[in-house]
Amino acid sequence: MNALQRFVRSRVLLLTAAILIVTMGLSVLVQGQSQASLDRTVDENSRGLYDILVQAKAGSGALLQPEIANGTGGISFDQLNGIRDLAGTSIAAPISLVSRVTQNLEVPRLDAMDYLGYNPALAGSATADQPDGVAPTDWPAAESVLTEEPKKYRVTASAVSSDGANEQTMFKSSSEGTLGKSRLVEEKSNGGTSVQIEKAAGETGIKFPSPAGGSEHTLFNLSIALPMAPEVTESVVAVDPVAERALLGDAGEFLAPLEKAPPADARNAGAVGRHFESLFTQGITTKELEEGPDFLGVKLKYWAPLMSQYQQAKVSGELTEDSQAIPLIVRSGTSLDLRYDVKIEEIDDAGKVVRDVGTASRSLGSDYLPFVSKSPFALSWPGSTDHSELLGNAGNFNQGLYTPATWSNDFASAPQYTDMGTAANGAVEKSATPRDWVTVNRLPEKSQDGSPVDQTQRAPVDERSYRDSVAEGDKVAAPLAMVYGTFDPAAVQAAAGDVNRLPLGGYDPTPMTMVKNAAGDTVEASTLKPSLSATGLASQSAGAITDYYGLAAARGFEANTEVIDAVRVRAKAEGSWKQAQPDVETLADEIRDMGLEATVVAGSAREDVSIFVPGYSKDAAGKESPLGTVSQSWVRQDAAGAVSGSLTGTNTTLLFLTLIGAALLTGASTVSYVRKRRREAGTLRAMGWTQGRIRTWVLEEFAIGAAGLAAAGVVLSLLSWSLTTVIVSVSVLVLYAGAAFIAAQQLRHREVVDQEPQHDERLITVDSPLTFANRQLSTNRFNTVALAIAVGVFGAAVGGLIALLIDIPRAAGASALGGLAAASIALPSIILAVAGVAVGLILTLVTGRFELQAKRQYLGILQAMGWNPDMLRQVRFFENALVGAFALPIGVLGALGIGLLLAPYAALWAGIAGLIAVIIWIPVATKVVQ
Amino acid sequence: MTQESARQRNRDRSQADAGLQTRANTIVKASDHATPLELSSLTIRYGGGKSGAEPVSVVENFDLTLHAGEMHCVAGRSGSGKTSILTVGAGLTLPTSGRVFWEGDSLESMDDDEIADRRRALIGYVDQGGALIDGMSALENVLLPAVPEGEVEQRRSMAKDLLDLVGLGRRMRHRPEQLSGGERQRVAIARALILGTRVLVVDEPTASLDRASANKIIGILKDTSNDGIAVLVASHDHELVRQSDTLTELI
Repeated sequence: MNALQRFVRSRVLLLTAAILIVTMGLSVLVQGQSQASLDRTVDENSRGLYDILVQAKAGSGALLQPEIANGTGGISFDQLNGIRDLAGTSIAAPISLVSRVTQNLEVPRLDAMDYLGYNPALAGSATADQPDGVAPTDWPAAESVLTEEPKKYRVTASAVSSDGANEQTMFKSSSEGTLGKSRLVEEKSNGGTSVQIEKAAGETGIKFPSPAGGSEHTLFNLSIALPMAPEVTESVVAVDPVAERALLGDAGEFLAPLEKAPPADARNAGAVGRHFESLFTQGITTKELEEGPDFLGVKLKYWAPLMSQYQQAKVSGELTEDSQAIPLIVRSGTSLDLRYDVKIEEIDDAGKVVRDVGTASRSLGSDYLPFVSKSPFALSWPGSTDHSELLGNAGNFNQGLYTPATWSNDFASAPQYTDMGTAANGAVEKSATPRDWVTVNRLPEKSQDGSPVDQTQRAPVDERSYRDSVAEGDKVAAPLAMVYGTFDPAAVQAAAGDVNRLPLGGYDPTPMTMVKNAAGDTVEASTLKPSLSATGLASQSAGAITDYYGLAAARGFEANTEVIDAVRVRAKAEGSWKQAQPDVETLADEIRDMGLEATVVAGSAREDVSIFVPGYSKDAAGKESPLGTVSQSWVRQDAAGAVSGSLTGTNTTLLFLTLIGAALLTGASTVSYVRKRRREAGTLRAMGWTQGRIRTWVLEEFAIGAAGLAAAGVVLSLLSWSLTTVIVSVSVLVLYAGAAFIAAQQLRHREVVDQEPQHDERLITVDSPLTFANRQLSTNRFNTVALAIAVGVFGAAVGGLIALLIDIPRAAGASALGGLAAASIALPSIILAVAGVAVGLILTLVTGRFELQAKRQYLGILQAMGWNPDMLRQVRFFENALVGAFALPIGVLGALGIGLLLAPYAALWAGIAGLIAVIIWIPVATKVVQ
Repeated sequence: MTQESARQRNRDRSQADAGLQTRANTIVKASDHATPLELSSLTIRYGGGKSGAEPVSVVENFDLTLHAGEMHCVAGRSGSGKTSILTVGAGLTLPTSGRVFWEGDSLESMDDDEIADRRRALIGYVDQGGALIDGMSALENVLLPAVPEGEVEQRRSMAKDLLDLVGLGRRMRHRPEQLSGGERQRVAIARALILGTRVLVVDEPTASLDRASANKIIGILKDTSNDGIAVLVASHDHELVRQSDTLTELI
């Protein structure tokens, strides 16, 4: 029988070689695949819309704040042009915070249906002028929610703002009075007969404190003027429309109208206003009005706000020769939560509630447009029908009948961020302390008619401000908003991508998610809505976008000032991050040479930062209450390198552990081989073989396996062309060769006769299945220890698998890129770890087979002498339980060790997994031996 | 295929050693039942079924009635089915067909636990080579059948007596690997008798033993049957065949 035949016949050698080759191939293959998958994922997701963020003064640290437009400026247009002139620059898109604008919303009102029916003296001429009005014969009969006899009502108005977690009542105000159906009264005068609408006899009406104008009857309604709503402020950012559109791609289409805005010298507000007035003088069709009059190639759908502000400013004297029309793209809808409620109760003379009429509510919603929506708080008395449409559509001209917005560059200070600590997975925790208090939730100082507003009817609510004050510029003439279109912040956010969501500026919101309440308890994650009692953290996208001429007009700049907050630069270099990295870094260096801060954000990734907000609201006594902890997306610099390095390290550790498993397996199988061949070797010695001949006889068999391993190693190394593969292959080969020499050494020696003369009486008496199992294990100590080690290795491998599963997300870090990368290598790594578990399992089978024959024999003897099946089962169980007891510390400590090596914070779980694996092995092995 | 023919001969039961018998009477008891073991129409086949191998019938329609105090020898060439008859008779394996009666009760009606309990009380089985359990002394090996009964300590002196009986009184602390083949065989016989068995089933007790050792074993078996214990022995040892009371020769 030649060596090859002996090798094949010796199944244990064949099995060992096969397992080692499979382990080698699997580990190399999995390594290669997981590394390739990791590289691909990291590379594909590491380049966002731009590569370099340029700021005049950048913050320190690896985490970038999401707010890059902060109104502090610092970069001049000359520097912007310098960046654009660099050879490696593809796009350089500047962005600045322009102003905070206070919206002058129309006074809220409550309309109670009190329709008097058709009357030619009041409605005839109106319907004649309105082609889409209803013909007189088709007007319905009069109807009203009020009674002939006036009744006494109490009307309570309140405004509530909520961030989704906390609700705050901004004010609450009540007024009482009697209301009844109105009537038509004909009065004869010198000029003829006039028809007037008069209130019911005895009606007192309802009057809220000034500037609310009280209640008034019209042909269709009884209209009650309500207390003024809290002011709504919006921020405006400036971009270069052309560069920004190029940066955003398809998502930047909304900027196209802004590209057609006139140059600065053609934006005189008076001239623009007069141009539109002339359109009406010359005549304009209703269709043209609805689509929007053409202004230099752009149809201005929202022309009415400009016109109304122009007329108001002209009347109030605010319009000067310096007044500019500022082209704006406004946000479509708002997530600002502001609700206006009016509760209506019928009461008796003593003030006791007789009937609850109902509550009317309106909120700022998705159809609210900054600078456009005029009366978001027109409320309707319960049960009312709006008959005013009988007069026909008054057209868009009614939109925007409000005074010009108040533009201010009193930006509030940004919060102060303090590092709190770093979590196990690298997630950063911070504390955000708002700086200065400013009162922004206040009543307007003057009403629309210019009269002072009674500020005592409600207490202003302190609110955290969120921008630094910029002392640049002079007091400028009131600019007039000129709305060119709308934008959808969600579309901009989508264009930025989820993983590498880089800060695009104030119009790219960075939502905050509430994760812990003020008491520190974890709450169901919910995105906080912007509210009027804000946190001081910007979460609402800017209300409007303008260009840099608009910024100059708002701030009164004429010269080239350093007003650019940040420039987003995309390099010309194409391809993935890995390909473009050298060019991007060269470009960043060139920008730094210009005296600017250039942060390479390619290779970065979004990372959620936990922010504790200690001071959020104040009670009447001025005591501050914390909000809790919110999570907000910041940007982790060089996330690609960190993620790739960390996960590669984890994989290498895993490979190392697999090799240890292979070494143990080789050792166990070698012992098995030696035990099987011992008698054969003895026979050969008896035949006169020399020790050297026996050694050669053994080594020849191992050489067959070694040749197979070497061939597999060479093939794998050539296929993968990696040093790791060569190292793994050589390691396995060395292990195998070592085992061969040990086996040869063992077999060439004669066995030493056991000199122990007699039975040791100190041993425990065999009088039960447990003591029998104990005796068997102590008799075969080597097998017991080998099997216990094997089971321990199996438990440790299971612990390693669990540690790995827990560890991958930790090793990947807290960034969104880390999550993606972890997902991409999870499967290959788990396959590798499962292979480790399989090696551990095979190890238990190989070592378990050492005495299987003997075990079968003595179980047969016991059966023959009348031990019943249950007792035989007990023997098997106790044997395995005792082995398990020895294996437990090995498994648990091994799992803990692997856990500490792979994932320190998952070590405990790894230990528990090792414990459970060993415990589960006991009944399974009992069943298998049966 | 084997064809069975049985020739039964009565043998002289006068070779008992008086001293041995006297001591044996104190520790063994004869069966109360006249025929403690009966095999009826026994057929044993191997192979066939899922294995695909052609079935081999080693025993066909074998009948045997073993009386108390009778030493019956099953003789025949290797592979003739001697061991198969013994293992079936001891309830360790099931026959292909036919029935086994222990003291008149058919094994068909018993479950595994009941068979184990009855075997402990009735049958002492000694397999070929007298397999002992490693790591345990001769005395401990003899006491193993008492473990299920929880009578290890109670039977310790009896075990020592039995080892004395088989001539191993001075080797009781030795482990199996320190005993010769004949000594192991004798320990196995002592172990088979520890629970007061009524039927001793012994497989090839003298195989690979020298004549002197074989004669010792034969003497022990003969004495055992003289004490009223039925002995069923498989062997092709001429001396053993000669000394047995009845004989079945398998062809």
